[in-house]
Amino acid sequence: MIHDFIMHVICPFAGTVAFAVLFNVPKRFYLCCGCTGTAGWLMYHMVSGYGGSSATASFCGTLVVVLLSRILTVVMKCPITIFLVSGIIPLVPGAGIYYTVYYMVNNEFAEATRRGMESAKVAFAIVLAIVFVVSLPRKYFQSSYYQRKIRKG
Amino acid sequence: MKGCSFCSCMLFTVMNGKMTYDNKRNIFYFPDSGDIIRKRRPSKVQSDDVGKEGQDMKIQQITRDKDEYMDLLLLADPQEDMIEKYLDRSDMFVLVNGGDVCSVCVVEQLKNRKCELKNLATRVEDRGKGYAKYLLRYICERYSSTCDVMYVGIGNYKRVVNFYEKCGFINSHIVANFFTENYREPMYEDGVRLTDMIYLKKQLDSEVDVKKVVDLALEAGRILLKNGAEIFRVDETITRICNSFHVEYVDTFILSHGIFVSAENGVEEAYTKVKQIPLSSSHLGIVAEVNELSREISGGFVSIEEAKERLRRIDQMPAKKSYFQVLAAGAGSGSFGYLLGATALESLIAFGIGCVLYIWILTAKKYNISKMLVNILGGVLITALALAAFHMPFPVPVKIDGMIIGGIMPLIPGLAFVNAIRDIADSDFLSGTVRMIDALLVFVYIAVGVGFTLSVYNNMGGGLML
Repeated sequence: MIHDFIMHVICPFAGTVAFAVLFNVPKRFYLCCGCTGTAGWLMYHMVSGYGGSSATASFCGTLVVVLLSRILTVVMKCPITIFLVSGIIPLVPGAGIYYTVYYMVNNEFAEATRRGMESAKVAFAIVLAIVFVVSLPRKYFQSSYYQRKIRKG
Repeated sequence: MKGCSFCSCMLFTVMNGKMTYDNKRNIFYFPDSGDIIRKRRPSKVQSDDVGKEGQDMKIQQITRDKDEYMDLLLLADPQEDMIEKYLDRSDMFVLVNGGDVCSVCVVEQLKNRKCELKNLATRVEDRGKGYAKYLLRYICERYSSTCDVMYVGIGNYKRVVNFYEKCGFINSHIVANFFTENYREPMYEDGVRLTDMIYLKKQLDSEVDVKKVVDLALEAGRILLKNGAEIFRVDETITRICNSFHVEYVDTFILSHGIFVSAENGVEEAYTKVKQIPLSSSHLGIVAEVNELSREISGGFVSIEEAKERLRRIDQMPAKKSYFQVLAAGAGSGSFGYLLGATALESLIAFGIGCVLYIWILTAKKYNISKMLVNILGGVLITALALAAFHMPFPVPVKIDGMIIGGIMPLIPGLAFVNAIRDIADSDFLSGTVRMIDALLVFVYIAVGVGFTLSVYNNMGGGLML
């Protein structure tokens, strides 16, 4: 249990904050960046736990990251890039690159191709998710929109 | 309006070709053939030469003995006592080219941030070279700090009206019967006697401010683009800054490596600027700060000068301290290594690898080593260190996978990747493609570095080591 907690909450949080530091994000956003990254990773972990492929899991994880980023952008009044870039790092297929190269060096081309294609699929899933959420009109992320709706009934 | 009754600036009376001033006889006369003046007017080619001649062209303010230039002043205003009425309380400027006084103008400061151009005349032999226009522009810039509006009163000469309209003046009002009441000699235009004086006006802040505002907006855009903002944000910021300083017509064209801005205010000529921006490291803190500043500007809380100063300070914002960055890279490597299946010991080693890797990246940045080399050698460094750790006599045997994957993480071009996607989503395909290629190439560089080292190691051990 504790191991799971460290693995799936502390690690993505620490990792995301570390990357926020590397991107020179201002201090006041560290917490939000960390939460975005953790939420994205938890979603990824959950979907792949229920048997989703890594591409599906990445897609869902990215959706969560981008949605959270867009909400945080409005709340904190700052560029979305800050949350988006840091939050997406845990989902980027870094391992995929390594395994592709690893199998290629070992002359296992079938496996290398499989890993490479999978990385490409994951990358596309991330692209798709970002494009999907970014294209939503801005008004849905502003509280005034919902306040007006509630007032109208 | 105060000051009208004294005023009399019939600029370029002579240029009409109908009435001519003779220096020797000190009178105006109507030449038999109106072409005399036209022959003297230099061709267009010469008028374009003002820039070259302008090297020894100077504008001076005359404070004493203004009467000395009476000959020139009389060109625009035929009655000496009318000139003397305003000469003493006005400012006088002369344009000197090559030691000769070519143009003269007189401006009177009125109340309530207004001023009036009383007299503007050019020597007969120097007409059509753009001297008057140059002088007028200088005057407009000079008075823009103290005045909002400049008036000029003229007779209804088409050429004169055209000249001022080209310089950005618009109709203001008319003083009826001014010439018949104040001038002893009747004046004629096309055989019709001049009676009314036309007043034209110009908003003084416009011309100077377009430049200032565009420069400010461009600087903001440059800083944003340099530090990793998306294209649409740069575009939005530039337009927002321009609009909030009343520059209404702005066109921007922004690429991942450059910004083109063209702005226009009213009828005056457009102002265009191009800025090349090399790809460089990212600093999201600066992006956030500029964003904040642009918000405040469009709220109307910041003046141009203040904004400029703040931009300068933002641009110099330092990156996080190096040791902090190195530790962060280590922490990133360690935690992602653990996340992607490494053991605790392997993560610890990944932490070390991340730190070493970032020291290399920072050193490379200091010496401006190319991106390709940084990433390939970075990959080599990670793999070599992981392989070295693999052979260390640890109590528990370690696998290289987790260590290398963790170590790779700080090299991953997350910002370029995300920005590329967002640019493409915003239909900025050109910039998006460039950034995407940038990101993909970095992936390839890393793969090359890691793959090269692994295969060298593999060959050393006869293919049995991995």
